[in-house]
Amino acid sequence: MLTLEAVTKRFGGLTAVRAVSLEVRAGDLLGIIGPNGAGKTTLFNVIAGYYRPEEGRVRFEGRDVTGLPPHAIARLGLTRTFQIVKPFGNLSVADNVMIGALTRLPRVAHARARALPIALRKRLEVARALATRPRFLLLDEVMAGLNPTELVGIVDLVRRVHAEGVTLIVIEHVMAAMMRLAQRIVMLHHGEKIAEGTPQEIAHDRRVIDAYLGDEFNLAEA
Amino acid sequence: MSRLAPDRWAAVAMFAVAALTPLVVRDAFLLDSVILILLWGALSAAWNVAGGYAGQVSLGHAAFFGIGAYAAALMSARYAQSPWLGLAVGVALSVVAGALIGYLSNRLKGPYFALSTIAFAEVLKIVASRWRGFTSGSEGVPVPYRPGFWTLGLGHVAWLYLILVVAVGCYALQVYLERSRVGYQLAGVREDEDAAEALGIATRRRKVQAIVVSAAMTSACGSLWAQYVGFVDPSHVFSIDLSVRFALNSIIGGIGTALGPFLGSLLITSLETSGVEASFTGIYLIIYGVVLILIVRFAPDGLTGIAGRFWAWRARAHA
Repeated sequence: MLTLEAVTKRFGGLTAVRAVSLEVRAGDLLGIIGPNGAGKTTLFNVIAGYYRPEEGRVRFEGRDVTGLPPHAIARLGLTRTFQIVKPFGNLSVADNVMIGALTRLPRVAHARARALPIALRKRLEVARALATRPRFLLLDEVMAGLNPTELVGIVDLVRRVHAEGVTLIVIEHVMAAMMRLAQRIVMLHHGEKIAEGTPQEIAHDRRVIDAYLGDEFNLAEA
Repeated sequence: MSRLAPDRWAAVAMFAVAALTPLVVRDAFLLDSVILILLWGALSAAWNVAGGYAGQVSLGHAAFFGIGAYAAALMSARYAQSPWLGLAVGVALSVVAGALIGYLSNRLKGPYFALSTIAFAEVLKIVASRWRGFTSGSEGVPVPYRPGFWTLGLGHVAWLYLILVVAVGCYALQVYLERSRVGYQLAGVREDEDAAEALGIATRRRKVQAIVVSAAMTSACGSLWAQYVGFVDPSHVFSIDLSVRFALNSIIGGIGTALGPFLGSLLITSLETSGVEASFTGIYLIIYGVVLILIVRFAPDGLTGIAGRFWAWRARAHA
């Protein structure tokens, strides 16, 4: 459904994403992990059309979307959320979602979006993206900064979205949640893909442990 | 929806009072005040389409006002044609100018966008002052008075109803922007362009469209103003004072609301035309400044914001 062919994105002398290739099939739930600055969000920005890659192609459902503006890609059915949530702060929650299309968050619908606590703002971010009825959704750290109870809620939300038939790529720092959620995980480090596999394979991969996890990741904790 | 009713009612009441005025009084001075309140309100509403709803805060809308004013004035003074034809030419030129400035300053945000619009209006002011052979330069263009609708030589009552129709039209367009798909898209552009893009909104195209529509409305009102006042000169019609006035009416009344520009105009224009100004020249500017400081400091959402909070407070008190 989504294919990245050796995508490279540079900012001046810095190569933020280096020759990353990726294949995501319809119905997948792919996780992307990596330390800060590994290029995860940059990769999202390239896929969603916010950055134009210096090299490589991005194909969505067989169509070359490299260099298309974000709104054109969104209309093809691929959209994203933002790590730093971007609610339309002066509008009500209902209006935020209306701008995409129509869904409901009854209890808080008329609150000003910027008045919401972070957990609800993260949910709003997802709701607004879903309102466009995407077939492919990029979630950028929707779990960061949440407490364990809120985490359960949002993991459940992501699962339901996936069960509805939306193909997902999820960037996350919360490893425990990622291990349970993702079918497949890609590890980025210094802009390069250094590992790809099932959560179990990733958790025991030497390169991943060296670069990121530090100690062998304990699946029992997950 | 029902929460919005009070300000819709206020608008209906305001337009109704304006419509009834000539039936009650024939005092030219009073009718003139009503006409100017409506006209400055309509101009501010035109500004609000770009500045309020789409968040493209311009301080150069005098450019479009001046284009419209000169197009109508020159068409009737120089070519002895109908000012309506001049109005149409002015709108066409302003659409081109609006598209140009919207396209060129597409990536500029906030103060940078505002500065580029100021520069644009200043350039036109210089052109109009120096192109003496065509515009008569800084001497200005007196508009001949030829009675009739086609030549826009009207009495006060006819002017009042004509401007009232224009004002209601501008108000209706804003109401449409508050409830329509394109209005929601503009709100998305105003609040966060990146997020709007992620929702499939073509942000750049929408911004240019908002500026073009706003420019066309401003230009049409500028043409009518020229015919009503009867004299056009570059240092006034292209002045930053006018641009600021369009913006301030909206900001004082309530930016991005349909009623705001008219409420702001009611306050500011009546201050200007009231007896206060006649007895103490310049005091209007002092009051203007004080009102602006108070609004920006204590109620950045303007008079409609204050009224909205009062309404909500009253509803709670009664609940």
